Amino acid sequence: MPYHLFKCSQCIPEREKHAVIKGVGEDISMALPLGYLNTIPGTISERGCAYCGAKHVIGTPMKDVIHLSHGPVGCTYDTWQTKRYISDNNNFQLKYTFASDMKEKHIVFGAEQLLKKNILDAFAAFPDIKRMTIYQTCASALIGDDINALADEIMEENPDVDIFVCNSPGFGGPSQSGGHHKINIAWINQKVGTVNPSIDADYVINYVGEYNIQGDQEVMMDYFKRMGIYVLATFTGNGSYDDLRAMHKAHLNVLECARSAEYICNELRVRYGIPRMDIDGFGFEPLSASLRKVGLFFGIEERALTIIEEENARWQPELDWYKARLMHKKVCLWPGGSKLWHWANAIHEEMGVDVVSVYTKFGHQGDMEKGISRCEEGALAVDDPNELEGLEAMETLQPDIIFTGKRPGEVAKKIRVPYLNAHAYHNGPWKGFEGWVRFARDMYNGIYSPIHQLSLLDISQDEIPTDKGFVTNRMLSDADLSDEVRNDPNLRPYTGNYDCVSPLRNKVYPEFPRKEKEVSVA
Amino acid sequence: MSNDIQNKVEELVNYIMKKCLWQFHSRTWDRKRQNDNILGMTAQLIYGGDVKPATPEEKCYWADAVCLADAFRNRFGWLADMDRADKEALMTGLKERIDFLTVTGSLNLELTDVHY
Repeated sequence: MPYHLFKCSQCIPEREKHAVIKGVGEDISMALPLGYLNTIPGTISERGCAYCGAKHVIGTPMKDVIHLSHGPVGCTYDTWQTKRYISDNNNFQLKYTFASDMKEKHIVFGAEQLLKKNILDAFAAFPDIKRMTIYQTCASALIGDDINALADEIMEENPDVDIFVCNSPGFGGPSQSGGHHKINIAWINQKVGTVNPSIDADYVINYVGEYNIQGDQEVMMDYFKRMGIYVLATFTGNGSYDDLRAMHKAHLNVLECARSAEYICNELRVRYGIPRMDIDGFGFEPLSASLRKVGLFFGIEERALTIIEEENARWQPELDWYKARLMHKKVCLWPGGSKLWHWANAIHEEMGVDVVSVYTKFGHQGDMEKGISRCEEGALAVDDPNELEGLEAMETLQPDIIFTGKRPGEVAKKIRVPYLNAHAYHNGPWKGFEGWVRFARDMYNGIYSPIHQLSLLDISQDEIPTDKGFVTNRMLSDADLSDEVRNDPNLRPYTGNYDCVSPLRNKVYPEFPRKEKEVSVA
Repeated sequence: MSNDIQNKVEELVNYIMKKCLWQFHSRTWDRKRQNDNILGMTAQLIYGGDVKPATPEEKCYWADAVCLADAFRNRFGWLADMDRADKEALMTGLKERIDFLTVTGSLNLELTDVHY
């Protein structure tokens, strides 16, 4: 498996060890890109910072919390306009964002009193919210404000509030992944075990590494509830602060995004003996296996099998409609971390596309081990790419579509490559059986968009045909299909609703008979 | 190991690497523990034995092992025609190969980090 040095990076030879091409018969013991290292000077990384990873990825999806950044107001930029981790409490954590608004004078004279005033003002402005997270930033870390001491002081003065402090300044790691690590460890050290609710349920899990992007968590909750499983806490999408303080009471940690949250699962196993089960909510087959595994663990496999059968019957004809039209389309799978391995095999097998490249902005070598193992031979795998490498890869590989973040996505559009937002989705949720069909639909609409076809013409130099009318995506996608496939009565495009999440919030679930309690004999 | 068994081992390896996540925990000791338990239980199930997990941790390994053994049986029809000795050679070869790819031959520099 040869390392690959992009032409544009020949002046940065250290970059060679960050990319490989998976050759015929080769495996991850032969070459593996370096990962989770400081970005090499001279290469313009697409990564976020450690503060971003702690706050904007993991902390802020908690729904019933005032999230306050102790730093300049610009550090709070990412909120409702860029993030899509919704919640069932009217999106409080997205609608309101807080910063202590540090200025130059605070850098000189200190900002603890400013922070204290901000904390009290925020609690006063939202008297129903009694929980707060405070995030250190580069500015407050450099001047050494003692946020923990201040939080302790305020909690002592106001016993009805609880405050979590996350010390993960932007420079606290090579990428946002450093922040994932810090907030995982900070949460278990500071908060897990500090409340002990009485739980009256037979099967209790924590759902970990799930951020409710456009409703993903609520879709998965639906399956768990249909199985009679009680989800004690979700780390952290749509999760509740106090529920997350009780994570030590679960029977099982079900881990979705291992890149961002395996740390807390590993610590919960070591400190509290709660086992970790890695699952995969993307793709019919991986999701089916995941639900079955959870069912097996609790001895309720048949409940999982019922759901799998129902969901497959409902959605397989729609997934297959898209698969027929997406067959062998070339895809660059360029997400931040975990989705390169969540999706690489599932989109190839279940949607028919060919993954010609995977990359990760902040993943570790473990993510590359999974991602490279799951993609087919010939794929180009890149760690921490820069913009020029992305452009060179697209020019070389000629993908039909890429899945990435909004910044590299806009770059792709400029060279007429359509993209889907791999972080926040287009028309999600993409998890679950229905969600997976929605992903296929977004992929289809991206590739076959008539507007995209028009963008391929340059009105300043290309001849513009005047003898053709406007076409639809269906006319484009079905042009080369056989009549048998085009008219297959068993297949159909997506028939779900625009909003498939809100109805779940009022859904009534069956009650299962309780497990007989073991009686101890004296 | 015969070429035939070796080729079959590679088919099973390919399935695990494409479909499973349990073999890629983050540290050497985690990966060894996962491989030992899940592949050990899978082997017992493939041989026709019964596995009775007693603790939550064992149930977790067992759930993965049951799914893996079923997937092997469903996807690889040749498994049903193998005798016990060949099955043992197959599962031993599989364990050695997965250990190599994920632990002893892994190029992942984080595997020996002492902290999570």
